[in-house]
Amino acid sequence: MSDEIFYVEHLTVNYDKTAVLWDVSCSVPKGKLIGIIGPNGAGKSTLLKAALRLVKPLSGKIKLDGKSAYVPQRSSVDWDFPITVFDVVLMGVYGKLGFFKWAKKAHKEATRRALEKVGMLGFANRQISQLSSGQQQRVFIARALLQDADIYLLDEPFAGVDMATEKEIMTLLRKLKKEGKTIFVVHHDLTCVESYFDWVIMLNTCLIASGPVKEVFHSDNLMRTYGRSALLLDEAAKLSQSKASGVK
Amino acid sequence: MIYSPLDFFTDPVFRAPTIGSMLMCLASSLIGVLVIIRKRSLLGEALSHASYPGVVIGLIFLSSYFPFQEEIIGIGILVGAFCTSLLALFIIHKMERKLRVKSDAALCFVLSVFFGVGILIASRIQTTHAMWYKQIQLFLYGQSATLMDIHVLTYGILCCLIITTFFLLYRSIEAIHFDVDFSKSIGIRVNFFENMIYCLLVLAICIGIRSVGVVLMSGMLIAPGICARQFTHRLSILLILSGFFGLLSGFFGNYFSVIIPELMQVAGEKNFSLPTGPMILLFATALCAISFIIGLSGRYTRIIEHKWQCRLENALKSMWKNEPFDLSWSLSFWLKWQGWVDEKYHLTPEGFIYASRIVRLHRLWEVYLVDYLGQKVEKVHRNAEEMEHIITPELEKELMLLLKNPKLDPHKQPIPRERL
Repeated sequence: MSDEIFYVEHLTVNYDKTAVLWDVSCSVPKGKLIGIIGPNGAGKSTLLKAALRLVKPLSGKIKLDGKSAYVPQRSSVDWDFPITVFDVVLMGVYGKLGFFKWAKKAHKEATRRALEKVGMLGFANRQISQLSSGQQQRVFIARALLQDADIYLLDEPFAGVDMATEKEIMTLLRKLKKEGKTIFVVHHDLTCVESYFDWVIMLNTCLIASGPVKEVFHSDNLMRTYGRSALLLDEAAKLSQSKASGVK
Repeated sequence: MIYSPLDFFTDPVFRAPTIGSMLMCLASSLIGVLVIIRKRSLLGEALSHASYPGVVIGLIFLSSYFPFQEEIIGIGILVGAFCTSLLALFIIHKMERKLRVKSDAALCFVLSVFFGVGILIASRIQTTHAMWYKQIQLFLYGQSATLMDIHVLTYGILCCLIITTFFLLYRSIEAIHFDVDFSKSIGIRVNFFENMIYCLLVLAICIGIRSVGVVLMSGMLIAPGICARQFTHRLSILLILSGFFGLLSGFFGNYFSVIIPELMQVAGEKNFSLPTGPMILLFATALCAISFIIGLSGRYTRIIEHKWQCRLENALKSMWKNEPFDLSWSLSFWLKWQGWVDEKYHLTPEGFIYASRIVRLHRLWEVYLVDYLGQKVEKVHRNAEEMEHIITPELEKELMLLLKNPKLDPHKQPIPRERL
């Protein structure tokens, strides 16, 4: 198919000896709002990182067809870092700039617009440690907006974020979708999967299902993603790891 | 004779030590900022101690082949220190990653083993080659008095290297220190940059041990950065300030270590000398102490200001309600000076507007607590007593909107309107 934007074939990723993703194959068409769901340690974040080439797969192929913008987990950075909101968002243009040039006036203007879109313009000169978790997330999203990408990959953007911010971020993502962008969201809360996304990838180390929400998001697949049968694989993998490395 | 500070830059004897120390402090204070924001301050300590065996080996090796050729020996020492320091860094990384040793344990272990080996070799030559041993001892606590122009030139080149790197790659350095995954996703080669920064750190340490010494080097890495952190929340300004404080400590540490013995000699005390390293570090520490005091005093001033504002506003409120209250002379002076009361201690129109705002905030807050948070009417007064001094005009507007301009508070007292 020509309109596939995300394409995975027999992908296996491992940390040490444990497989985090095991023989995952799927593809996603362009212009969807995709939820990636699964229990803790199911390899949701790893799938994003593999797509961005942040981790190297053991085998298989993974391809993103277009420019991508990544929103890491909020907890992955040090929020005491000496930097202002404005400078964090400005990092969004670094990829375009090359490594030796400094930001120009046009870039700063674009940064201000991105901040305005997420409603954080008033906080531009704040130090990032003074932000609430919802505000931190908005800053990260502003930075991604500035990257002007075709594909957005958000790692748990709603973790620890207040309801109002979650709604606003969703509105923003829907708007992006209307502009023809493809958006991947690693998500935890199963109750709003149906209202948020139009495509869902269900993972638990192996791929359980990938397809339009209406077709694949049902109790059968949910049992296979979160149920006891899936836990068995995890336990066995841990045992095999400990035997192989000699750790008690 | 007593020298003026300017002499330290022109006098052929003092020129090299002064400029050398300053360059060294500049280099270490810049790299030190990165060590601090990585939360790896102890790494500097471990690496500087680990350079000691390199110094010893480099000196022995080159002194045997090129006796009395100071320049070559000096460079040999630098190379030796660089090598063992880098080796230590490598071992620390391996211990942390492969052997899963906790970071502080790995640092501690490497520090003591390397330093121990250095001491062992040094003590071996103590009796056989007293001259060499004396030279090695310099690197323990540092001595800048014997720096020569060739040293300054080397340090100058290395400093330029560090500053140029920071200037050209500032954005990448900022990005990878703040957010590694994001940096990778936009194509910054993180591993390359990390290795480069570690190399610069080792380099800065090797420059520094000559004038500050192995033992005190780590303090020099972090003191200017900690000092600067009190004043700014931006990495660029942090680097500039830290570099400035580094230069200051380099100069004054050196200055005092020369001037104080001179003064002592004038006073009749002979054979009094001060090593440069501790003096530089003490000066940097003094700068830190001052910056902490400035930071703290700012906080306490704000606390006192707020308390004073509460007292003023309480007095105004009591006058507005015609209640008795204590009027100290300072309070009455201030009220008059602000034009809030007249000669007979009656409220002026301005004072009346101010006071009625306080009362309004108090009663609005009570309404909010009772209507929206379901608090009991008799319990809300105390909290409102505090909040009346704190609520901003924006919050007040929001409260008015939310509560739809109430006329009465929960105690059935009227809420004064904004304008009368």
